[in-house]
Amino acid sequence: MKIAIVTTHPPGKGSLNEYGFHFIRFLRTKIESVSEIVLLVDELPGGEKYSIEQEPGLIPVTFKVCWKFGAWNNALRIRKAVRESNPDIVLFNIQFASFAGGKAAAALGLLAPWLVRQAGFKTVVLLHNIMETVNLKQAGFGSNPLMENVVRQFGNMVTRFILHADLVAVTIPKYVEILESKYGANNVLLAPHGSFTEPSSEMPEAVPAGPPNIMTFGKFGTYKKVEVLVEAFERLLPAHPQARLVIAGTDNPNVKGYLEGVRQKYARVPNMHFTGYVNEEDVPRIFGDSWAVVFPYTSTTGSSGVLHQAGAFGKAVVLPKLGDLEQLVVEEGYDGEFFEPENPHSLADAICRVIDNPERMLEIGSKNYLAANGLPITEVVDWYIIHFEQLLKK
Amino acid sequence: MPLQIQTIEHMIRIMVITLDGRLDAFEAPALRQKCDKFLADGLIHFVFDLTEVTMLDSAGLAAMVSVLKRARLKNGDVRLIWPRAEAASRILKLTRFDQVFISIEASQVIPQGF
Repeated sequence: MKIAIVTTHPPGKGSLNEYGFHFIRFLRTKIESVSEIVLLVDELPGGEKYSIEQEPGLIPVTFKVCWKFGAWNNALRIRKAVRESNPDIVLFNIQFASFAGGKAAAALGLLAPWLVRQAGFKTVVLLHNIMETVNLKQAGFGSNPLMENVVRQFGNMVTRFILHADLVAVTIPKYVEILESKYGANNVLLAPHGSFTEPSSEMPEAVPAGPPNIMTFGKFGTYKKVEVLVEAFERLLPAHPQARLVIAGTDNPNVKGYLEGVRQKYARVPNMHFTGYVNEEDVPRIFGDSWAVVFPYTSTTGSSGVLHQAGAFGKAVVLPKLGDLEQLVVEEGYDGEFFEPENPHSLADAICRVIDNPERMLEIGSKNYLAANGLPITEVVDWYIIHFEQLLKK
Repeated sequence: MPLQIQTIEHMIRIMVITLDGRLDAFEAPALRQKCDKFLADGLIHFVFDLTEVTMLDSAGLAAMVSVLKRARLKNGDVRLIWPRAEAASRILKLTRFDQVFISIEASQVIPQGF
């Protein structure tokens, strides 16, 4: 089976690049089912080039650069690239803002799965978020209620186009139910996110040495906002003067300069560290040093890769009481301390319930480790292959 | 010329694994361990009887899918006896594995047709 995947991929820094990287890392090992992988990726800035090691025993991968973040003609270019590659299956690893920050170009890009299906190729979309659960204002897409309504109507229309794919995979059970009930879809399936690390039999150390280390990880500025976390951290400093706050990651591409603004606004707060972009090889250390991983989200837009990573490293998590995230935690067997979104008092209390109680920290970390190891991404990739094979039999 | 008699005995080994209770992230490792041993012993036909499973989550399903994948690679298969509890059948439907696993009745475990 030859598979083409429309995705972002390192060194590209576009959204879902990390998911794309890990998915492909494990897909390459499935030599019994897959013969060739073509990655249909976006143009890199500054003349950077894609490269991947072609190791013996791994499926060969080729990069085909065929779209550009923000361009209007991405769907047409992707269809052309698919025709040239002639795969058995095309998988899209996307979310609503994958192809552009602007509304029109983003919507046009999302027509690509429909165009590819119309061109006669078996098409599967892994859709990481759905319009119905995105807080458009916080995601940077709705500047006023009228505009938000217009965007939502367009979003509904685009969703109908996406649902023309042979299969649409989503990462949260509720999304399946929404797409089935609202759009009458019968081609939607749940494909859990999976944890990025390989299964391991050893439970990592739950309480690292040194002072309390509170960490958040992601691309910040839209629905992931760190102000409430910084304010919560300030509140717990008197009781924990040695505590560190690590803000690991970068600005969301739609909100350039956000973290620098936070750094300046809260210059008075000690022990606060901004790591910038975290390279793949540094991820284990960043998570390994943490006592608690905090999710300062104001809304969710899909399953959380960071939650699965925290689980894989056996870490305690502190989560907002948001419907999607709470449901995901229960459905996938995770555990954590919860706080009221955008409430620094509530967040500070939740962090203290972890860092002041090593037994609870260990309990949460152990449960999360078991949950993450229960479904590593290498097995999620197997699920996709089984569905691809089922599709090709039709 | 005396009658020539040749006999061929066909034996199909089917492992029926009956589960009772929750099959989740905490219980799945035990199931995996058992199935790993069966596969290592050369078994490739499995039936998971989920009738009495009260709850099935994605980690529990993953354990069964892992067996399905490895069994199929050796030309075997895995069949399911459908769970009674909605909390167990829900994940099978959501993931569309209800369309991948062949579902059978308990009475169909022994190959029919003789």
